[in-house]
Amino acid sequence: MIETIYIEKKIKNHPRTKSILSKFKKARFIEIDRYGEIFNKRNQNFRIQKFSPDLILAHKESGLVLPAPDGFGIGNSKNFYFSHMYNCIYDCRYCFLQGMYSSANYVIFVNFEDFDNALEKVIEENKSSKITFFSGYDCDSLALENVTGFAKHILGLFRKYPDIDLEFRTKSLQKDPFISGKFIENIILAYSLMPEAMSSALDNKTPTIAKRIDIMTTLAAKGWKIGLRFDPLIHGKNWKKSYGELFEKVFNSVPLKSIHSVSFGALRFPKQMFKNITKLYPEEKLFSGPLSNNDGIVSYDHDIEEEMISFCQDITTRYVDKSKIFKCSI
Amino acid sequence: MNENHIIDSFSIRWVVALKEEAKTIIDHYKLSVIDGKSLFPVFKNVDDTHWLILSGIGRHNAAAATSYLYSISKASKSTAWINIGIAGCGKGNYGDLCLVDKISNNYGKNRYPMTMSRSALSKMHLFTSDIPINNYSSQELIDMEGSAFYDIASKFTSNELICLMKVISDGPENNLKDLNKDRIINLIKSNIINIKKVISYYENLSHFDFLRNKKPYLYTQIISRWHFSVTQKYQLENLLRRIKSFLPDNNVLEIIKDCEKGASVLDILDFKIKQSEVDWSNS
Repeated sequence: MIETIYIEKKIKNHPRTKSILSKFKKARFIEIDRYGEIFNKRNQNFRIQKFSPDLILAHKESGLVLPAPDGFGIGNSKNFYFSHMYNCIYDCRYCFLQGMYSSANYVIFVNFEDFDNALEKVIEENKSSKITFFSGYDCDSLALENVTGFAKHILGLFRKYPDIDLEFRTKSLQKDPFISGKFIENIILAYSLMPEAMSSALDNKTPTIAKRIDIMTTLAAKGWKIGLRFDPLIHGKNWKKSYGELFEKVFNSVPLKSIHSVSFGALRFPKQMFKNITKLYPEEKLFSGPLSNNDGIVSYDHDIEEEMISFCQDITTRYVDKSKIFKCSI
Repeated sequence: MNENHIIDSFSIRWVVALKEEAKTIIDHYKLSVIDGKSLFPVFKNVDDTHWLILSGIGRHNAAAATSYLYSISKASKSTAWINIGIAGCGKGNYGDLCLVDKISNNYGKNRYPMTMSRSALSKMHLFTSDIPINNYSSQELIDMEGSAFYDIASKFTSNELICLMKVISDGPENNLKDLNKDRIINLIKSNIINIKKVISYYENLSHFDFLRNKKPYLYTQIISRWHFSVTQKYQLENLLRRIKSFLPDNNVLEIIKDCEKGASVLDILDFKIKQSEVDWSNS
């Protein structure tokens, strides 16, 4: 439950602000000048904030659409990302957001129309390239859809550009924006997955893997394209058996013709981010694993990483064409 | 002071302007004045978990007292800091206890303390003034210390561990001049049940943060037996946290018992971790 909502003065009368506030009748509203006053203040305790995060409604001034980092892509030549929100309602222990932001509060940028303009500008500037946009880099792109309505809004834009791909990356079961209309060929609904035992230890507050598989199956039946994101791959006792069972379950549930792409990513943190996260969760089992620092990146030892990716790719190629399988290497 | 006791527990530091505002707190938490000459009157309980300082009125006093209490009470980053007192108010009810979620004064930017979650208490903005104000129309709560207390306390701990509570003592229908010592004592006393609930919340947060920052159980035992450099101590702490997922503490002592040097202890722990696999099935 959101108890306090901070609102930038600039957007206090924005229709979307009013619409969002109407959904939180019991919350206390506090006007602020800029979201950074709350979100970026010094001496915040992320872990305590995570018990009861507040909401900040803001106006995104710049950097609305950004080039995706190298190694982040699913086949197209150019990749961009955008975030209408910072932070996530879930609490996944491997998530880089907990090491990146000092605040656990949620920021929602309400100026969606500026995102539209920025996206169209990038599309215009890259007419000759095949582009994919990613939503859900700094948040889960659908988890707060019932509050923001962002996916519903942005689908309208991408309907106009059938050659431009948009990926929503999520763990949520949100389906409203997708079942209420006809499927759109260039939209990819991508779900993060890992074996249930690991997920129940690490994916706090998220829907179970079984439920995620159910929702993928439902949406695939409606014609939507599905992305499978095994990212990060988690090491542990019997990991081969666990991943083998997961693949079997996924590939026997989701119609193979609906699978747009499958990607694998190793567990990796920039050194400073890892330091921040382990300070927050010093006793976390995840960080007991065979991790080491290689050139400023903390990851599983190289051999383990390669073995895991190669094992997963080998099984996947039994079900999905190689051209649809990608390694995420950021 | 029993330092180990503090390390294993919560800690609360109170900054209160007047002794009348502090009386109920001192009585309830069984605080006694500390011996020796002190710049400000300071009280604490026998467990050393609660310390209270009487700052006197005004921003400068509040800032100085908060710093002083920090320096003498061995407060840590996990200590929760509390400011309680009476306040004028333009819109609340006389005698109500309020939590402060925004602080302003005439000098700088606004501050936004986090407030206790799931509390039924009113949340209000606080304006800290340098002079008594009896024009209540433009502000919610008015005091003379809050912003300075917050500015200094936020240098010692995280914003989530700072709490300002105010009891409405005067307003458009309750003249400031009618306030006297007994009234002030009674205003705080009549709210003690809610004050206790708030403090209990901060005791829990403080305790939670203590546990997060606490050194692993075997750490002290091991560094007392082998020599470690500063970097090695950091590595040891990290390895002990990691090995906890694989080995009970007794087994850890068993595998390192024959080590001759601190470096060998680190090597053995590191080797053992690399040989182990996390078992996710028993999470």
